[in-house]
Amino acid sequence: MCGVAGIISKESADLGNDLINMLKELLHRGKDSTGVALYEEREDIQVRVAVSDVRYKEDLEEIIRKHASISGVRTYQGEGIFSFYEASLGMAPERIAQLNWDIDSHPELCVHSLGRRIKVYKDQGSAEDLQFNHAIPSVKATHGIGHVRLATESIENINFAHPFVSYLYPELAIVHNGQFTNYFNMRRKLENLGIRFKTNNDSEMAAHFLAYQMKEKGKDLEEALYEGLETFDGVFTLLVSTENQIGALRDKLGIKPMLYFEQDGHTVLFGSEQICLTPIVSDVYASEMDPGGVMTWSV
Amino acid sequence: MVRLDLTGMASREINRKLKELIKTEDEIEVVHSHSVHNFATALIGNGKITVDGSTGFYTGGFLEGPSLVVKGNTGWYTGDNMMDGEIIVEMNTGSNVAPSMLGGTIVVKGNSGSRAGWGMKGGTLIVCGNVGRWTGKMTLGGRIIILGEVGEGIGESMYNGIIHVLDEAVEEKLGGNTRIIPIDDNEKAEVEKLFQKYGIDQGVDAFKSIVPNVLGRHEYVLFKPTHKKGRQG
Repeated sequence: MCGVAGIISKESADLGNDLINMLKELLHRGKDSTGVALYEEREDIQVRVAVSDVRYKEDLEEIIRKHASISGVRTYQGEGIFSFYEASLGMAPERIAQLNWDIDSHPELCVHSLGRRIKVYKDQGSAEDLQFNHAIPSVKATHGIGHVRLATESIENINFAHPFVSYLYPELAIVHNGQFTNYFNMRRKLENLGIRFKTNNDSEMAAHFLAYQMKEKGKDLEEALYEGLETFDGVFTLLVSTENQIGALRDKLGIKPMLYFEQDGHTVLFGSEQICLTPIVSDVYASEMDPGGVMTWSV
Repeated sequence: MVRLDLTGMASREINRKLKELIKTEDEIEVVHSHSVHNFATALIGNGKITVDGSTGFYTGGFLEGPSLVVKGNTGWYTGDNMMDGEIIVEMNTGSNVAPSMLGGTIVVKGNSGSRAGWGMKGGTLIVCGNVGRWTGKMTLGGRIIILGEVGEGIGESMYNGIIHVLDEAVEEKLGGNTRIIPIDDNEKAEVEKLFQKYGIDQGVDAFKSIVPNVLGRHEYVLFKPTHKKGRQG
């Protein structure tokens, strides 16, 4: 089933916590894994990598040192067997994509996020587990998207959890509720363009597709989403975030739900169900997105 | 009157308890509902249940007889396949309110989502606020009354039944196989009676009716459900 949530807030002091609270209300839509992508107000480039075993940490640092200097390392165990590696990197921004590619080339490592503002926390278990195990620091953030997963299309593995990122556009993250029925065709097309996939999850295709449209074809988020609407097949609602925008896309039959609510120009909330808005705004009537709709908000 | 606190209770436990209580109690007051799903489903009886809060999905599904008042919101598929009795929601409902409803009355004082009254076969649905798209889609019977704005595709592919609307711009939002006709005096009287019963302050003269546009090319043989009253208790 899966549930998605998103928030843009100019006023929230702890946006990560707000988003986690929204996802807690969506627990009944899936508890295989939970993830959030947050856009923090910070200056440095930060990386988050899932490591299948702590002994691969040295491999990881060796790869990173080829491109960047490392500081502020945090490693810890997640809910399952995976460990997480987080660090602040001193590097040239134009080398981010290459570093992302290099880390993902290692079979035991998976980049969850690597960029100037984005940070992705995703792990198996509920939103409560995520908050507890990852000790998400309360940093000022402008917007974020989140997801609770009920695995239908691929294995239960934290690297197959949402949000998905693409090395083509490091600041882009997507969360997806639904199934793409033309995944294999689309994957083949994208792979023919030289795009490499890290997982077998259908939603990763959407991340690469949108990143490709925006970075290689020079489209803006709205145009890329319209392109997605015409290209993707199946049932889907997508929330897509970049460093300064959140976009939403709903399939033409409107099978998967998507609600949104705007408050006085300073807060915008998105969610699969009305109840996930209640931790932020109690008792409001959220609007339902139109089937085949594309919407974008600037932060 | 008996008071039921739902704290820590699961859906099945709640419904089992309600079924027991409705046999003997006239009035049940429910507190701490915390948007519980499947509240009061398949409940048969004559009592009145008042919920001081919100309930979740499938509230009052297959309800037969009782009067259910929810002071907060309800989730989607409220009154799914409802047989008899009434559901009054003081605030909003999710999408698909009163789907496949067979009888009884549902009154939503706030707004409702898309596909309100989808596949209704009988009974009455009143929404005092706005509704989303595809209201009364594939309706087979019954009456839908919408006081607020309606979404696109109202009455899409309806077979039978009637939708009364106030929305001025309804012509632009009509679904396929429907037409607009003026409301007649008998209907006016019936609607007025309903408004009086449920305390809705609204005149009936400005209503328009939406009915299926049967062209005579197809001979519809309408399915008429024969409904036996369930045994009480």
